[in-house]
Amino acid sequence: MKAYTGNGRRVFAGVFSVFGFILILVIAVPLLRMLLVVDATELSRTAADNEVRSAIILTLRASLWATLAALVLGVPLAWILARHKFPGRRVLEGIIDLPVIIPHTAAGIALLSVWGRQSLFHRFTGVTVVGTEAGISLAMFFVSVPFLVNAAKSGFRLVDERYEKTARSLGAGPWKTFFSVSLPMVRKSILSGSIMMLGRGISEFGAVVILAYHPMTAPVMIFERFQNFGLQYALPVTVLLILISLLVFIGLRLVEERRR
Amino acid sequence: MIRMEGVERNLGRFSLRDINLCIAEGEYFVLMGPSGAGKTVLLELMAGLTTADCGRVTGVNGRALGFIYQDYMLFPHMDVFENIAYGLKVRKMNQEEIRARVDNLAEELRLLHLLRRNVRTLSGGEQQRVAIARALAIRPKLLLLDEPTAALDRANRLRTQKLLRRLHGLTGATFVQVTHDFEEALSLADRVALMMDGRLIQTGPPDEILTRPVSRDVADFMGYRNIFSGPVRQGRMRVGDWDLQVPLEESEFAYAAIRAEDILISRKPLESSARNHVKGRISGVLGYSTGAEVLVDAGVELVVGITRTSLDEMGIRVGDEVVLTLKVSAIRCFEH
Repeated sequence: MKAYTGNGRRVFAGVFSVFGFILILVIAVPLLRMLLVVDATELSRTAADNEVRSAIILTLRASLWATLAALVLGVPLAWILARHKFPGRRVLEGIIDLPVIIPHTAAGIALLSVWGRQSLFHRFTGVTVVGTEAGISLAMFFVSVPFLVNAAKSGFRLVDERYEKTARSLGAGPWKTFFSVSLPMVRKSILSGSIMMLGRGISEFGAVVILAYHPMTAPVMIFERFQNFGLQYALPVTVLLILISLLVFIGLRLVEERRR
Repeated sequence: MIRMEGVERNLGRFSLRDINLCIAEGEYFVLMGPSGAGKTVLLELMAGLTTADCGRVTGVNGRALGFIYQDYMLFPHMDVFENIAYGLKVRKMNQEEIRARVDNLAEELRLLHLLRRNVRTLSGGEQQRVAIARALAIRPKLLLLDEPTAALDRANRLRTQKLLRRLHGLTGATFVQVTHDFEEALSLADRVALMMDGRLIQTGPPDEILTRPVSRDVADFMGYRNIFSGPVRQGRMRVGDWDLQVPLEESEFAYAAIRAEDILISRKPLESSARNHVKGRISGVLGYSTGAEVLVDAGVELVVGITRTSLDEMGIRVGDEVVLTLKVSAIRCFEH
């Protein structure tokens, strides 16, 4: 066997570091560059712009609604997928993953065919989500729910089923067992899944723009300003959205850390 | 009384088949068998934590029962107190009562100083006592223990056995314990069931299983170190280059088993009738805390158990010529 020399180790560490550094550059340089080229007074004027403000707040709020809905609907599904083997489970898991794979504009079109003005749903109820905040949330939900469900599912899979059996042996019913044992034990996975989903929701453009051009979310506004007025006009909104997103996620990650 | 009748359960890899079992109130019942025999699943079936494919389990439903898994399954997001109190909170008992009962148990199990500790910081022995306290808190009429001592070192294992015996006396509950260690089964059980490959092979008082195993596999599991096989003609089985006198007249194929302790070792033949004497040469000595096993080459290798004292007195050395005496009455014969 060849000796694992100090020299070999240095080359190994060097190559890995260089590769990692290139990756970081690809992500960080465009973001940093935006911060450098944007004019500070321009940025503060944009921040004071009501249209921009309401777009950003709308984006955050709609994504939060989507995430909350996913918590209610997705966590039970994650538990079922983690705990039970049944025919068709793989198919269900595939369906959950679909939104990640398909183009998000396609997701928007698909949603439109069910919830749009030409759909059966609209014909019977007269209700449409097109052009509403509910529509925006729905689009965000559709494309980002896999992050939460999959995180919760792997969380539940890691929890030994015998914890649940122990709780049951001590007299806890299924609800009590779930809320006092299963759920607290995967709190961390669910929290980080929620953060991922929230972030994915905020950044969603393709599906949202098809379901609701107005009211305008921040990503749609960035697109619109870029289309109509050019890069210079899109930049301040972009920077603002990035900064606010960063703040929100750093805050959430801190909460997550503290809970450990 | 717990009764299992014709219980079967398919587990993919193997299945539990034809389980018939009766456990009396207040009995200390030990379910014994090699790893992977299906003991844990049988325990879960008894507790109703798993359902049988067919057959009936009666006498457990709706009763307060405690279930202790081998690795304790202490809830990691609760401290020691909350773990012990879990079953009481589920029963919506009031705070003072919970406090009193937990304190009581904690004192009994030497856990008082640990009540506010995170369970992940406890030693194996402490974790186990918490698991026991948590199960006993609900005053179960039935306590099911899945290999409670398997993960412990010898000293802690003996301490736990003593504790379990004491708790059994104290609570008057029915204890059903799983173990793969027959010494432990012998020291604790009123009655033992031996399980192999998903079937109950033999059930009875520990002494009976030790001295009257029903099959070769049971004898092997119960520590019969010498097991021979072959046809039996006129009460004799050919072993190596000599005839072993066995308590069986004729058989096409049989097993003959004798415990290491039931073989006598001496320098000269012992005067006696109806005994098997065989000459051999010592090929090895394995020392244990309680005694030693002497390996003797007599055409086949025989394992002879002796005490430390006799080992020293006889001055046994590898290569020595000795005479072995195998009492016919100590030999067990099986045809399967």
